[in-house]
Amino acid sequence: MTKRIETADEAKQDAAYSEALKELIYQMADDDFIVSFRGSEWLGLAPHIEEDVAFSSITQNTMGHAVMYYNLLEELGEGDADALAHARPLEKRRNAVYLEKQNGDGSYLKEPYFDWALTVVRHYFYEVLKKVKLEALTKSSYVPLANIAQKVLMEQPYHLAHWKLWIRQLQNSNEDAKSRINMRIVEAWKEFGDALELGTKSSEMVQHELIAGEEFLQKQWLNEVKATVMSLPTYPLEKGLGNGRNGKHSADLKQAIKIFSEVYESDREAVW
Amino acid sequence: MTAQDESNFYKEYEVFSKRSTKAPIQHQFSLLAPNDELAMMMAQENFMRREDVIDVWVVPRAHIRSMTSEERSTWTKRLDNKSYRTTKGYGYLRKKWREKEQGMLDEKEIMSWKEVNKS
Amino acid sequence: MYNYIPDGDSVAKAYTEEDQGKYEVFMERINNGEKIEADDWMPEDYRQALIKLISMHGISEIMGALPEKEWVPKAPTLKRKLGIMAKVQDEMGHGQLLLRVAEDLMKPYGRTRENLIEDLLNGDLKFHNVFHMPTKTWADAGMVGWMVDGAAIISQTNMLDASYGPYQRALQRICAEEVFHAQHGEAIIMALAEGTKEQREILQESFSRWWPSLLMFFGPASAETTGSSKQDIMIKYRIRKSNNEELRQVFLNKYLPRAFSLGLTVPDETVHYDKENERWIYQQPDWNEFKQIIKNKGPMSKERLRLREIAYEKNRWVRQALAPQVISS
Repeated sequence: MTKRIETADEAKQDAAYSEALKELIYQMADDDFIVSFRGSEWLGLAPHIEEDVAFSSITQNTMGHAVMYYNLLEELGEGDADALAHARPLEKRRNAVYLEKQNGDGSYLKEPYFDWALTVVRHYFYEVLKKVKLEALTKSSYVPLANIAQKVLMEQPYHLAHWKLWIRQLQNSNEDAKSRINMRIVEAWKEFGDALELGTKSSEMVQHELIAGEEFLQKQWLNEVKATVMSLPTYPLEKGLGNGRNGKHSADLKQAIKIFSEVYESDREAVW
Repeated sequence: MTAQDESNFYKEYEVFSKRSTKAPIQHQFSLLAPNDELAMMMAQENFMRREDVIDVWVVPRAHIRSMTSEERSTWTKRLDNKSYRTTKGYGYLRKKWREKEQGMLDEKEIMSWKEVNKS
Repeated sequence: MYNYIPDGDSVAKAYTEEDQGKYEVFMERINNGEKIEADDWMPEDYRQALIKLISMHGISEIMGALPEKEWVPKAPTLKRKLGIMAKVQDEMGHGQLLLRVAEDLMKPYGRTRENLIEDLLNGDLKFHNVFHMPTKTWADAGMVGWMVDGAAIISQTNMLDASYGPYQRALQRICAEEVFHAQHGEAIIMALAEGTKEQREILQESFSRWWPSLLMFFGPASAETTGSSKQDIMIKYRIRKSNNEELRQVFLNKYLPRAFSLGLTVPDETVHYDKENERWIYQQPDWNEFKQIIKNKGPMSKERLRLREIAYEKNRWVRQALAPQVISS
């Protein structure tokens, strides 16, 4: 068994270990960051006011989680957390590509034809995955990461319950809602594939006992999703938009970067 | 025949919460939601984002029998002649006990009995 | 909220003759500082003034989320992203509280939240003048939090003893959160004021641009300025304590010295403190423009209403899907 690594300094002494570790943390950080970014575009535009407020809490919590991961990377010598979040180019980003997908047509500033069905399906799929990964991470050989996973699991059950309730209620309501949800599920099935992967360093991650293997994570995810979603496609998940774990992203991430880094990039040295 | 009228989405719920195990249930505010489950999902983040909470209740307002305006103004006033219900009506005992060189078993004394010395 | 209710003079007569007794009891309660509750008898002009005030206050919070929200996804650091998200979320939350209060007042007329949103979209329900204005730079995100919220705090705290219980309780919650908003705004402003030359420039540009809107925030000083103002009824029924000009003076008194200490300049050379009369002297903003702005003819009125309209229409299917089925015969 790999011994437990207690600090960043300790991790840095083993290059192979720390490379795999950083790769994993980037994936966790970038997933939460982009999910929160897309959530922040919804602010003020949700189906009703009470939901707007509840949804925003989840979005904030999720950004809070991203911050914890970026701070871990900062400790591991990757540079300033704000720079990691705002200044990394597209190809360096490791979030799953489906998570960067725009909320619908239009933009949050103009003609925001956002689709609640996409948001419900995306968040539900993502929060199930997040729970599975976090639970695996509580046993990670890198103790600071295991500790964060433990902490995030304190508030993540609410997130999962929230989106699970929405998907349950909508798929049990009228035909219109059912078909809208169904359409987004079929779409997700074709695009969510890379979310369930760990990228090029997946075997090292498992070898160093940083996280459980892809196969295990996928099985756990599928079991949970099957128990909630009424009709799932029978074929395997696909990577129709690319593979974000390898830095292959869509134009939607380009749009996101342009927006979330606009002020930051106007003066990188300035204190904001 | 059944119809889905969008306006039925907005059902009134009253929200209550408990801050700690020792605290009583407290009324927070009201919200609109289409059903109990969604009302519960909205409640905590709408009204208790910055405070401790260990329990939440949501109740459809239609299920609450509250006092009417008239009942509030006519049922909640009482004559000030009920000292026999409170310790105020028994204050003279303090002096009596003192004469017998005993202490009064007042609220402070009685509430302190939760700690019993184990010998 | 300012004390300017468009068409406020058209509110109904206070009560009918047969309700004379009820009215006297009501006024006695008001004068004793008691709180009126939603199901208590109240004179029609009290109810209508409250509905106008609180629905406008509530919908202004909802519309007020939008200008700041433009900068939420763009916030330049992780900390600012979190802070501004929480702040704009609160605005939606304040809208929720206030609309609930207004909705309960409107119940006797069979009107609901749906009607409020529709009134907003068709132009019958107006929102506050400041939220018709553009937010052009990150400095505006700070200016809204610092000065616009500062002005809001002054007008809201003035109603913390309001005679209407549900409104008073909502305001209590709102003002407690406003303290965080003020500090959130100050933090953004402080960083810019102590920042680079460019940062100080966008800050000054923002302040100069917002100045007339900030003066307008509290509404006209008297009915003569715009023709209709319901200040008196608000004070008679103990909904608020001070009039518009008194509140504006409090605002100038609290905020101008702070603005000066940050090196900001007011785009009005006549601005000064008149020690003898203990008041700030300033040039009146263009009250005709003010009237145009709140008629949804401001620079961003149409765009902001469009955002709300799309959100409302595009999500209708969700509300329809989850609306409990009603068996009708």
